[in-house]
Amino acid sequence: MSTRTTVRLTVNGRAYESDCEPRLTLADFLRRNCGLTGTHLGCEHGVCGACTVLIDGASARACLTLAVQVDGVEITTVEGLAPPGELNTLQQCFREHHGLQCGFCTPGVLMCATELLKENPNPTAAEVRRGISGNLCRCTGYDAIVRSVLAAAEAAHENSQESVS
Amino acid sequence: MTATTDPRQFTGKSQLRTEDARLLSGHAQFLDDITVPRMTEAAVLRSPLAHARIVSIDVSEAKALPGVHDVITGADLAAVAGEQPVIWRPIPDQRIPTMYALAVDTVRWVGQGVAAVVADTRYIAEDALELIDIDYEPLPVVADLDDALAPDAPRIYEDWPDNVTGSLTITQGDAGPAFTAADVVVSGSFRHHPSYGCPIETRGCIADFDPYADRLSMWTTTQSPNLARELLAQVLGLDVSKVRVRTPDLGGGFGMKFDFYPEDVIAALLSKRIGRPVKLLEDRRESFFASSRSRDMRHDFEMALTSDGTITGLRGTAYGVMGGAFGTVGSGPPWASILTSMGPYRIPNLELTIKPVLTNRSPYGSYRGWGVPKGNLVHERLIELAARELGVDRMDIRRKNFPAPEEFPFFSGAAFSYDSGRYADCLDLCLQAVADAAWEDRKAAAAAEGRSLGIGYGFHVEPGAYGPSRILNLVGLDHSGFDEVCVRMDSSGKVTVFSGQINMGQGTHTVYAQLAADGLGVPMEDITVVTGDTDSCPYTGYGTGGSRALPLGGAAIINATGRLRAKLIRIAASMLEANPEDIEIDSGRFFVAGTASQGVTTAEIGRAAYRNLNGLLPEEETPTLEEVDVFDPPNMTTSYGCTALLVEVDRETGQVDLLDCIQAHDAGVIVNPMLADGQLAGGLAQAFGGGLYEEFVYDEDAQMRTASFMDFLLPTASEIPPFTFVHQETPAPDIPGGMKGLGEAGTIAGVSLVGSAIDDALRDLGVAVDEFPVTPPRLLALIEAAQEGASSGADKEGTR
Ligand code: FES
Ligand code: FES
Repeated sequence: MSTRTTVRLTVNGRAYESDCEPRLTLADFLRRNCGLTGTHLGCEHGVCGACTVLIDGASARACLTLAVQVDGVEITTVEGLAPPGELNTLQQCFREHHGLQCGFCTPGVLMCATELLKENPNPTAAEVRRGISGNLCRCTGYDAIVRSVLAAAEAAHENSQESVS
Repeated sequence: MTATTDPRQFTGKSQLRTEDARLLSGHAQFLDDITVPRMTEAAVLRSPLAHARIVSIDVSEAKALPGVHDVITGADLAAVAGEQPVIWRPIPDQRIPTMYALAVDTVRWVGQGVAAVVADTRYIAEDALELIDIDYEPLPVVADLDDALAPDAPRIYEDWPDNVTGSLTITQGDAGPAFTAADVVVSGSFRHHPSYGCPIETRGCIADFDPYADRLSMWTTTQSPNLARELLAQVLGLDVSKVRVRTPDLGGGFGMKFDFYPEDVIAALLSKRIGRPVKLLEDRRESFFASSRSRDMRHDFEMALTSDGTITGLRGTAYGVMGGAFGTVGSGPPWASILTSMGPYRIPNLELTIKPVLTNRSPYGSYRGWGVPKGNLVHERLIELAARELGVDRMDIRRKNFPAPEEFPFFSGAAFSYDSGRYADCLDLCLQAVADAAWEDRKAAAAAEGRSLGIGYGFHVEPGAYGPSRILNLVGLDHSGFDEVCVRMDSSGKVTVFSGQINMGQGTHTVYAQLAADGLGVPMEDITVVTGDTDSCPYTGYGTGGSRALPLGGAAIINATGRLRAKLIRIAASMLEANPEDIEIDSGRFFVAGTASQGVTTAEIGRAAYRNLNGLLPEEETPTLEEVDVFDPPNMTTSYGCTALLVEVDRETGQVDLLDCIQAHDAGVIVNPMLADGQLAGGLAQAFGGGLYEEFVYDEDAQMRTASFMDFLLPTASEIPPFTFVHQETPAPDIPGGMKGLGEAGTIAGVSLVGSAIDDALRDLGVAVDEFPVTPPRLLALIEAAQEGASSGADKEGTR
């Protein structure tokens, strides 16, 4: 229990190094050792998706991952989506379409949607629903989240057309 | 003439939320995001048994673990703290089973707290829990309602004659003769199994007791900071002024965070004992035992009608499946279910009985809807059975029994007086929207393929803006219903609204900013809203529950800004050497009509009222720009809606798919349509969860089988359908601004709606759903029973 290990990670482009117990979860490492409290814990048993982060670009549950398992990797959390004071397109679309209420599930939903849009830049509503079905939201009834993600896809599409023309 | 440009610049329009940017970027501050200096972390040891005597507790090993600061048991706690308060006592002469924050001699449900450890970290605190040695002597268990009511049932309190806490019958007219004379009587036994509010953020607190000032400072995830402050003072024997309660951002509340929980008391005492701040957060598994259980009720009711479909009577008994002790709101929600069991219908003869009964389950408490979803089950399920029995259209029979718009305020026959309503219009609005969506075509097309689609309907009423303080006292609430607001313009002309309500996702800060901006004639970005601190915020009775935040807080803001605006106009008029009547306002500029380019700004008025009074502030005006308003509503609001749901039922598996949902709604004046729709959608999704999936399942030992998200199934985006909302606006006559509470609409409307839709999909079988959630095994059993009944030519289900 008391053997401590040094974990080195890159989070949102910045290097972190911290001693921790082997049983410390990645979620707690981010929240407690890195001060990145945007990653939330809703169940700590891998179902709610609130703790979703990107590990080397792929979504993962930070509550089921131990910090020592991910030594040396690159992590993106919600704090890394946009510089302080700014919102990226996806975040902006959530605001415009009321894709969040209490905002507790939101970081996990955003990280999941980020991966979804990267893999499928033009999803249908049904694909968005399937894509976010691993994220529980108790506030919105999901419809507004779906509309937010679709709007982000649309906006990205328009932007890329503009940059082509 | 005090003319202004459009007085409703922001109200009534979908403004983006002021809360969102922080929440979207990871900059919010939820309870577990807060760390205070010298903070420690606690964990609670919970009973593994549903009913047992505590023979002995040995905490010595736990105390000796390095990193552990202290361990507290029930006996330690009861020596210095009072019992957990029960603020709702609506049933006269009821036996109220109270409890301490930790069990003292006997545990009465699985998960009841028996001891707590405080340590350097939660990890160490949990290690220490395993070192506490408790010897239990098991007692006979009362696992369910039927067990509790059995003549030879074990008693949960030895000195009670049985497990029934009391009984209350509310009557109107004379139900007996109405039922004797009825042409048709339909009846049902409607069971809603237990569930809970289940915000994705669990509950937690940080208690910091200052032993020198004898003052407790709490961060806690409560919807009711003023109530929590008073109850903490009461339980801990402190003056109210010696308790400060702050609420961080709340990750959802749904009523569940309204109640006052043992953990706040435990953390406060631990902090006092060790002289350091203590954080105590429940984990998800604990939340199933430690946060209010809700919905758990059975309603045995019958409805009398004449052959033309006029309802003449409603009577029955409702059983609240209470826990081993009462939570903060006692049997308030079960009581509210019978008060609303007549719903939107004019029923002259009522005989409504509520019997809260104890079981070895966790305490019953608040959850969005607060009993009304089950009242809705009674009237909506019965009226559909009546339509079937009489062979009339299920919407026509509803329409026939509505009070007409001119009959409002309409006394329901039991406690509530509905403030205003155009029920038939709302029903038509819904039917039109369903027709526009061509659901009947979809249903017919599916039927041609051998698939079973069904359309469900439901009409609901939602009592909101709880409530006139003296009436709440009269019906048994040990708290008030008013709301206080302070609106202050500062020396730079910007405005802060201080409110005792809190923000838990419903967008309170945004709608308050809209109302305040319109009230003062300033831009919305000039408004800051401050909530969640009893040291700096005004008093709200009750809390943010009972659909109060907008109608009551909003009314107070409208009143306060109205007076402040008048003062601003007087000062501006004096500065401009004009008559106040000639002053116009546009976006924070005050000017004489026709001279918009001159005038003064709020910044100049602010300077005059705070810093450069001489020569600028009229002698008769008090310095500062501040107005306080206390609004105690003369009546509650009653919003209402007609909801339609399209489902597909798989007759082989009993699986129900939700395909589409439309709601026509009237909540009086809508301040922010986007947020209103968000509230409606979120509530409906919760009701669909309760209607189809979510259930606390107990075994015969009252052990919960569903204490994780693997077994307690919240609906995901794959289950919940898209939503369409249409509104009509019939203003609340007793609320300045005309707004009605709407936050609970969806949860009230959605459960009976699921039943209605399933019945419709299985119309040929004559199925009548009466038990919720309608899980596949339950539905299959109904289908099979109906098929057997049909083949043996037995009577139709549902008129037992
Ligand atoms: S907290 Fe990780 S999935 Fe729920
Ligand atoms: S916004 Fe509250 S849980 Fe999703």
